[in-house]
Amino acid sequence: MSLQDRVEYAVRKCEKLGASEAEAYAQKQRVVEIVLERGEIQSERTKIHEGISVRLVKDKKLGFAYTSTLSEKEIEKACEAAFALARASAPNPDWISLPKTAETPTSPEGIFDPKIAELQGTDVLNLAIQAAEAVKEKDKRAAIDDGKFTAATGETAIANTHGISCVEKATVFSCYLVCIAKEMGKASSMVFEYEITRSLGKLSPTQLGEKAAEKAVASLNPKSVPSFTGKVLLDTDPAAAVLAYTITNSVNAENVQRKRSLWAEKIGEEVASPVLNVVDDGLLPFGVYSSAFDDEGVPRRKTEILTKGVLKGFLHNSFTANKANTASTGNAYRQDYTTLPTVLSSNMIIQPGDKTLEQMISEIDKGIIVRRFSGNVRPESGEFSGIAKQASFIENGEVKHALKETMISGNVFEALKNIVAIGSETRATLYRAYVPPTLVDNIKIVSKH
Amino acid sequence: MRHHRREMLTITVKDGKMDAVNCGVTEGACARVLIDGSWGFASTTSLEKKDVTKIIEDAASLARASKPLKKRRVDLGTVDAYEDSYETPMHKDPAKADKEELVRLAIDVDKEVRSFSPRIVSDNVALRIIDDKLEFLSSEGSRISQRIVRCYGGVMVVAMEKGSIASAYESIGAQCGLEILDETPLEEAGRKAAERADKLASARVAPGGVFPVILENRIVGLLAHEAVGHCSEADLVYGGSFLAGKIGEKVASEKVTLIDDGMFPRGFGTMKYDDEGVPTEKTVIIDKGVCKGYLHSRETACQFNVKPTGNARAWTFEYDPIIRMRNTYIEAGDYSLEELAETIKDGFFLKGGLSGQADFTGEFMFGTQEAVKIRNGEFAESYRGVTISGNAFEVLKNVDAVGKDFLMRIGMCGKEQVNYVGMGGASLRTKLLLGGR
Repeated sequence: MSLQDRVEYAVRKCEKLGASEAEAYAQKQRVVEIVLERGEIQSERTKIHEGISVRLVKDKKLGFAYTSTLSEKEIEKACEAAFALARASAPNPDWISLPKTAETPTSPEGIFDPKIAELQGTDVLNLAIQAAEAVKEKDKRAAIDDGKFTAATGETAIANTHGISCVEKATVFSCYLVCIAKEMGKASSMVFEYEITRSLGKLSPTQLGEKAAEKAVASLNPKSVPSFTGKVLLDTDPAAAVLAYTITNSVNAENVQRKRSLWAEKIGEEVASPVLNVVDDGLLPFGVYSSAFDDEGVPRRKTEILTKGVLKGFLHNSFTANKANTASTGNAYRQDYTTLPTVLSSNMIIQPGDKTLEQMISEIDKGIIVRRFSGNVRPESGEFSGIAKQASFIENGEVKHALKETMISGNVFEALKNIVAIGSETRATLYRAYVPPTLVDNIKIVSKH
Repeated sequence: MRHHRREMLTITVKDGKMDAVNCGVTEGACARVLIDGSWGFASTTSLEKKDVTKIIEDAASLARASKPLKKRRVDLGTVDAYEDSYETPMHKDPAKADKEELVRLAIDVDKEVRSFSPRIVSDNVALRIIDDKLEFLSSEGSRISQRIVRCYGGVMVVAMEKGSIASAYESIGAQCGLEILDETPLEEAGRKAAERADKLASARVAPGGVFPVILENRIVGLLAHEAVGHCSEADLVYGGSFLAGKIGEKVASEKVTLIDDGMFPRGFGTMKYDDEGVPTEKTVIIDKGVCKGYLHSRETACQFNVKPTGNARAWTFEYDPIIRMRNTYIEAGDYSLEELAETIKDGFFLKGGLSGQADFTGEFMFGTQEAVKIRNGEFAESYRGVTISGNAFEVLKNVDAVGKDFLMRIGMCGKEQVNYVGMGGASLRTKLLLGGR
C-alpha cells in the first residue's frame, strides 16, 4: 500500500464508523544525521520517522488520534480512537467544515533533490568533516563545540472526505555549527551558524565552517560602551528572530481572531516603514518551506502581507478562513503527524533592498551590529529584550570592536516603523522566513558599563 | 537496545472553544552498537523481526564506516548488569482516566479564566498525560523495564487595555498520576495567570540596568538548570565549560548548594535507571559554593575515571542517549520573601520565568514575566518583565541570602534533542543586568 492508499483507507474507515467528516495525514521520513561534539563525531543515526493521524468530526465535536505504525490494523485503531474521542469531547460551535477544493496542486520547482535522497551516513559524515576542517583552517583560535548535519527525505499524503487526496515528496538538508574561539585563556561568545537548503548543489560546508570561525574570532576581546539609544543593524538571523517572527505572528489569522494581534483591525493601514515589503510565498522555487499543498491539502499560493509598509493580508488555514468567511491562503501547518493543524507562514519573504552589509555599516555614524539575538520576543505586545551576541560597536561607518555584555530592548511594532534600510543579502532562516540584514533606529542598547 | 512506547493524551481549550482531543501512540526500537570504540545507531517504528534485525545491521555498518574518521576510541568501562523494573509511584493511574471528566475540567478552568476580568481577551488551557514504557536490553546482561507517567497542564492568558497587550503563563505538573490535579488545581494556575495578565495590561516595561534583585523560586530553577547545570555536563566540561578543571574550587557563594537528583520524588526528570541502564543517583554539583562533581554518561565517566552518575538520557527511540540533567535544584535557605526584600533600597522582585538560554561559559539570559519594584525594602508597583542576563557564576557569587519557599517545577530542556527535566530552587537575593527600557 502506498502512503496515499493508507490515508484514503483511513478516511473510508472513518466514514464507515459514522464520522460527519474526516481527514488523514501521513508522513514518512528518512533521516540521516551526524552529530558533532567538541569537534569530534559524537554519533550518527539513520532513522525512519513515520506515522499517520486522523482528524474526525462528529456533530461539530472533534477527535484526533495518531499512530507511528502504518499497518491497516493500527490505522483502524487510530480511526476508532479518534471517533471515541470525538464523542467524549464537547462541540465547537465555530466548526464549519474541513477544506474542500477543486484545484489540483502542483509541486513548485526544486523541492526534491535526488542527490539528497541518495545520501548515506558516510556521505553526510564527509560533509560534516569538510565543515570541521574549514573551521580549523580559517583560524587556529576557533573550534567547534557542537554541530549537526541532517539529510531528510520525506513524503506526505493527505486525504479527506471532501475529495482531497494528494501526495508529495521533498528533500531538505540542514546543518549547524556552534563555534567558539579562545585566545589567552579567554573564550569568545558562542556562535551559532547554520544553513538550510532544498538542493545539495547550493550547500557549501566549507563556507559554513569559515563563517562560523570568522564570527567567533571577531567576538574575541570585547569591550563595553556606555548605554545609548540608537541604530542597530540586525544581521539576517536576529532580524528574523525579532522582526519576521513578530510579523508572522501578527498576520496569523488565528491570533487575529483570538485578539492576540495588534494588527487585527489594521488592514490597509501603514504599520511599518515604507521600505518594508513582505509576501508569504508557498510556491517559491527551491524554497525551503515550499510545497504543492499545505498540511490540510489546500494548494499553496502567494499572499501579500506588507506593501510599502501597508498591511495587506492575513494568513489562513481552512478553520480560520471559514470563520472569517474567506478562502484559505494555504497556510495550515503541522509540526508533524502527531499534531493538529495550526496556521503558520510558508516562506515569509522580507523583500531585500539594494545595499550590501558593508555599505550599510559605512552609513552608520554610531550604532551596533548584532549577529545573533539571545532573548525573548513577545509577539502579542511586540516587546523584545535580550543579549546582543557577536555584537560589534560601529562608529563613523566602521566596525570598531566586539561588544561585551550588551542587551538590546524595544518594541517590534515601533521598530518596524523605524527601519532605515534593508540589505541585499537575503537567506533562508530557521523562522520560516527569508530575511535580509535590516537597519533599525531608536533601539535601546543597555550595557553594564 | 531499547524499546519505547509513548502514549500521549492532550486536551486543549482555546477561548472557550474545545479543540480536538488528541491522543496517540508512538512506538519503536533502536539499536546502538559499539565496534572497536566507534558508535553506530539506528531506529525503526516497525517491530517486525526483519526490521529490528535491519537496525542492528545498519547501526553496525555505520559504526564500521565512521571508525576511520574518528579520532577518539570510546571506552565504556564496566558496570553492573541489572534485571529490574520500575514504575512511577501514583494514586490515580491516568490509564484509567475518564476522558470526559478531563474535558469538563479544562472547560471549567477556561470559563473561570475568561470571567476573571473584562480585560482578558484570550486564553489557552491545556492538559497533557504522557505515559512512557521503556525497555532496555544490553549485551552485558541488563534487562530493565520502566513505566514513567507525567501529568501536567498550563494556562496562557492574554489581556488587553487600550490597545496594549500583555500575556502571562502558569503551569502545574509532576511525575505522578492524576492526583496532581487535586493537589495543585489547574484552576489556581489559571487564576494566577489571569491575575498577572490583567495587572500587566496597563503596566509599563521595567527600566534597564544593573539592580539588586530577588529571583523568584521558578526563575532560580531555570538558573540552576540552564546556566549552571549545563556547565556541569561532562561532555561540555570536556569541551572546556566554565566548570572545567574547577573541582574543589569555590565557584559560588557559600549560600549555594546545587544538586542534580535522578530520584527526586515526583521530579519531572526522575527515572530509576538512565537510558544506558545505569542506576540514577543524587549528584552534588556545588556544595556550599564549592564545585564537587559533574554529570556523566558511561563514556565520559570512563574518560574522567569516575563512576557514571546515570545522566545518559534519550528523548525517544529515535535518539541515542546523551548527557542530560534530571532534577536540578538549589537547596533552600531560611529567609522569608519579606526578609529577602529588607536590605534592598532600589531593586526588583523578578517573577515568572519564560524561556532561557545559556552558553557553557555560564553566560545566560532568561525572560521574566513580571518585575515588582522594591523600594526601601517594601514591595511596590509591578512592571512588565524583561530579559535578564549575566554570568551565572557571578550571579551565584553575589547571592547573599536564599529563601525557604522551595519549589520543584516541570521543565523541557533542548540540547540537541529535548527532554523532560525538573528545575527547583527557592527565591534568592543577588544582583544582575535587566534589559529594560
